[in-house]
Amino acid sequence: MSKVDQFESAFRSASKAVYHLDPPEVRRVLLVTDLDSPEMQQLVDQLRQFLLVLDGAEWQRIGRGEFENVAELLELVERHKPDLVVTYRHLGSDAWKWPFSLGEYLDVLTQASGCPVLVLPHPTEGGAMDHALTDTNVVMAITDHLTGDDQLVNWSARFTARDGVLYLSHVENQNQFERLIETIGKIPSIDTDDARDTILAQLLKEPTDYIQSCKLVLDGSDLSLDVRAVVMIGRRLKEYKKLIEEHAVDMLVMNTKDEYQSAMHGLAYPLAVEIRSIPLLLL
Amino acid sequence: MTLQMTSMSLISATSALQDAAHQSPEVPLGVTLFFTGILVAMILCLALEEKLHAKKSVIVGAFAMVSLLCGAACHLLPFGPVEVGGHQIDLPVYIPAVDWNVIAIILGSSLFVDVTAKSGLFTWVAIKLTKASRGDPFKLLVSYGLMTVVFSAVLNNVTAMIIVGSLTAVSLEKLGRREKLLGFLLIEGLLTNVGGLLTLISSVPNIIVGTKAGISFIDFFLVAGPYVAVATVITLLMGAKLMGIQGLRTAEERAEARELVAGFDENDGVESPVFFWFGACMLVAFIGVIASASVLPWISDLKMGYVALSFGLIMLLRFKAVADKFYQAIDWDLLAFFACLFVVINVMEHAQVLHMIGQGLEGIIGLGDVLGAGSILVTSAAASSVTDNIPLAAMLAQILGENAMIAGDPDSRFWWSVIFGANLGGNLTPIGSASTLVAVTIIHKHGLPMPFVRFVRLALPYALVQLVLATAYVLIFVG
Repeated sequence: MSKVDQFESAFRSASKAVYHLDPPEVRRVLLVTDLDSPEMQQLVDQLRQFLLVLDGAEWQRIGRGEFENVAELLELVERHKPDLVVTYRHLGSDAWKWPFSLGEYLDVLTQASGCPVLVLPHPTEGGAMDHALTDTNVVMAITDHLTGDDQLVNWSARFTARDGVLYLSHVENQNQFERLIETIGKIPSIDTDDARDTILAQLLKEPTDYIQSCKLVLDGSDLSLDVRAVVMIGRRLKEYKKLIEEHAVDMLVMNTKDEYQSAMHGLAYPLAVEIRSIPLLLL
Repeated sequence: MTLQMTSMSLISATSALQDAAHQSPEVPLGVTLFFTGILVAMILCLALEEKLHAKKSVIVGAFAMVSLLCGAACHLLPFGPVEVGGHQIDLPVYIPAVDWNVIAIILGSSLFVDVTAKSGLFTWVAIKLTKASRGDPFKLLVSYGLMTVVFSAVLNNVTAMIIVGSLTAVSLEKLGRREKLLGFLLIEGLLTNVGGLLTLISSVPNIIVGTKAGISFIDFFLVAGPYVAVATVITLLMGAKLMGIQGLRTAEERAEARELVAGFDENDGVESPVFFWFGACMLVAFIGVIASASVLPWISDLKMGYVALSFGLIMLLRFKAVADKFYQAIDWDLLAFFACLFVVINVMEHAQVLHMIGQGLEGIIGLGDVLGAGSILVTSAAASSVTDNIPLAAMLAQILGENAMIAGDPDSRFWWSVIFGANLGGNLTPIGSASTLVAVTIIHKHGLPMPFVRFVRLALPYALVQLVLATAYVLIFVG
């Protein structure tokens, strides 16, 4: 029955995920800070310039003294019912001095909040790139499973400035792939070289096809975006850092929710911790 | 198209052997009965192939070895050199027993179909039809049903079932209608045997009986075509009714289904447009040359095996550096099965077993053109439902060819009774034909229960209607 499987594989390969454009509405933005009013106003002014794509949205604020612990913050966020929370890494924490976490507030907020969280570089750390927080002309969606992820693409498109560049990126984990091939190399009935070539080709083909579908739809829309594909295999953190520098990315967009665990998505957390120099939109 | 057309030579081989058998010395009745026992045992083992967990080639191979040994012990086999082109060649007795033209047809056509499939042609056609149905279950059933019939007629029913069955599983999964999978696969399995009736080369029994009877390709198509058309429509309508496969009712459902099937990309499997069109042209040429092989100069001498091998080789040129991968994909079980079957039939000829069965059938044939032909059709169907229809068709064709009233009359109803009975009998049970077995295997692969009894219960209404229709058709319109 190997031929049944052969044809089923051919038909499955021909069955492709099709992108549907459905840009999310962002009517209410909640800015959460631990700043005093003057500093907060300065930040708001900067953000209004930075997030021109949210023009028309109502901005609400939570500042210093309005919450004392995580529970109070979550309650406040719940009460405001925002479409987007904007804050910065290590909110209410001095752990920004050590690059090992997002801070206790953000660790919980990104998972407990029902809406996306835009995480900015820490205001006093000083590690932000020069182009960070100026505009969203270059936005990059990052994932290790892009195919069919309409939500990620829609949010990314929503935050890309008109005539801007939207990178849809998919980086396969090289370490995992090598481990798989190493195992296949110990199975006599599977041709290792053939498996390496065909599996890798298929892994990269699916996101490439999906990005093609995204490009087709977005090019036909009135968003006026330049959609580009980045599909590769590599050691992801290293590759993403390189891509961010190469393309002067203004904002990264990634999924953080994982239906199988309470912790942040396996790829998102290390990226969010390590990439401190540009804003991150965590879905 | 091919695998099955194969046995055309089985006929010629067995007929030659039959002639030889008639000239052989008298065989004691006890010896003939002993070999009849071996033949019956082989048929039973083939029927119980699944239970025995043994491939056809191993089963028939074992019986071929036993038959040869017993044949040698009983001094039935014509040992000695064989004359080929005026030269005496010393060959083992079982080598000339095999019809190598049949083996060449199976080998060549398998290669041709496998390499042509790499062009993406078959998946392209299948996906185009899926998209044309716009995801509507009823239209999908009709599309897949027609595709099954056409693929069965021009490829072979096993390949047709594999292509259409696997597409059905994938597309119904995509449409979220997995609960309809069993119904679709069952109907497609039943239609493979209807499609196998369409042309002289659509199935092995057609080739065996049609060639022996002297029915031309065109005449075969003209006689069988109307039945196939009517039986296909009736089977599809019955399937839609009994399996609850209906069209979509609301505009929303239709829009959603249309969008889902639009996600299929028919060009995904087309690696090279040039090779795709080359494959399409070669397929048309292959069908054309095979259909006219008997009248083409030189080709008629080289026979269909040459045509199949040549087309297979031409397609292989594209993959000349990795041709060995296609050799691995060849159905060696089928090839060995045919080779061993030829050997068993050869020994049975020498043991006068076929002659004895022919005498037994004289009574049925003697019932007349109506009752006799009808009885042959029903008997053939019943026998085909529990065992392989190829040996059955070979034996019956041989026996009818010995009958003075039937031999030489291609319009005789008896020939068509065997053809219709041997093909449609496969629809009565899951083991009745290779393609229904494939359908059941795909059903099992997707975790759906389909034990023997359930298949019979579900398939019986269709098979009975097809057989009643076939009997009426043969008795009213044929002859």
